Amino acid sequence: MRNQLNEELDRLRHDILAMGSLVEESLRKALHALRTGDVALAKEVRAGDAEINALQLGIEDQAAMLIATQQPVAGDLRELVTVFKVTDNLERIGDHAAHLAKTARRLADDPYPLPLDRLERMAAAGVAMVHDAVEAYLRRDEALAREAAARDDEIDAEHKAFLREVLAYLAGRPDKAEQATKLIATSSFLERLGDHVTNLCEAVVFMLTGEHAELND
Amino acid sequence: MMSEAETAFSIRGLDLWYGKSQALKSVTADLPARSVTALIGPSGCGKSTFLRTLNRMNDLVGGVRIEGSVLYDGVDVLSPSTDVIDLRKRVGMVFQKPNPFPMSLYDNIAYGPRVHGVKDKARLDDVVESSLVRAALFDEVKDRLHESALGLSGGQQQRLCIARVLAVEPEVVLMDEPTSALDPISTAKIEALLDELKRDYTIVIVTHNMQQAGRVSDRTAFFLLGELVEYAATKELFFNPADERTENYISGRFG
Repeated sequence: MRNQLNEELDRLRHDILAMGSLVEESLRKALHALRTGDVALAKEVRAGDAEINALQLGIEDQAAMLIATQQPVAGDLRELVTVFKVTDNLERIGDHAAHLAKTARRLADDPYPLPLDRLERMAAAGVAMVHDAVEAYLRRDEALAREAAARDDEIDAEHKAFLREVLAYLAGRPDKAEQATKLIATSSFLERLGDHVTNLCEAVVFMLTGEHAELND
Repeated sequence: MMSEAETAFSIRGLDLWYGKSQALKSVTADLPARSVTALIGPSGCGKSTFLRTLNRMNDLVGGVRIEGSVLYDGVDVLSPSTDVIDLRKRVGMVFQKPNPFPMSLYDNIAYGPRVHGVKDKARLDDVVESSLVRAALFDEVKDRLHESALGLSGGQQQRLCIARVLAVEPEVVLMDEPTSALDPISTAKIEALLDELKRDYTIVIVTHNMQQAGRVSDRTAFFLLGELVEYAATKELFFNPADERTENYISGRFG
């Protein structure tokens, strides 16, 4: 019974997997562009963002249609409510990938003299978190959602350390203030990215348990 | 009268057999006063049987055997010494199909009070008007009180039946699928009425319409094969049910 609802829910999950994969790919590309200065790759991230946004709107329309026509309750309803949070946070993560790609493009013209290991580690952690968060949603895996959210601490620690390093560098090279400001902004975007994955994980825990978990303390 | 958070019905270990087939299995629940309790479950699950136990309507069915206890406001409902007429005055009932008597609107509503000995014309006038007002029907029919009740629409007839129950000043109104024969507009009117009535009355409603249970009730009881599977606050039961059988049933994945 409820074959139509089951099929539609499966289709939604498939679309969310597609959206999550695109966001993950954008982040990987942006990270690679940051490492290698590959400007063409950075531009691809921007193009991918439009596709991500289109997927988001399609998924949300479909979820609203199912709520209107299928009268879902209990677990079905919690999943459909969760879909909006999942897509909203994935879309914001995609935006942050675009910010990172923009930084990569700028640094290609005017390289920062110190290593950007911390930014790279933040972005790499972000990729893994997004992957696990979407996986947790699809596999209905509460433990995995909690694990993915917990990695936000790594990003936060790198962010704080990176700020200190950039400010220390800036003290000796005030002429690099503009570049330093952009790097700090980028690091802040990555820090926000971690928060969005945490929100996404909280939504998954809510979908599975009905409890409003606070995973970011 | 009972206070706000008080229990109207206290049911303990209720078993009921129709001949050899067991229709209720050790049902235990407290139904709160002045709120709406919805009973849901597939056909044959025992919900209507449970409802009818609350005012001894099962007495009318042959071969029924009941064990366990049902207390209403301290009264032992199942005791042979309980005054059933008095019980049914306090615990009224509205049925699935509107069943107005073939007489005028006025006489339909005055019927109960007259049976209970009210003869004074002015007092009957008052009861008829106030009952119709409380059943949200007065404005629609005030100019035709002496016309036949059979000329009303189905939705109006059902509200007339509710008014007729209210006229004998019950404390509880039991409803067995009261809107299943009505169109959506009439259904919406009855549902809005329930919201008003629960301020003064305890309502217990059997419904096959899950969305209706979600809309109108404070607590919902889910029955399956005579067993009370889950009984919880309605918002909890429809959003995060504890039992997988409840989830499967309310989400339409049952069977």
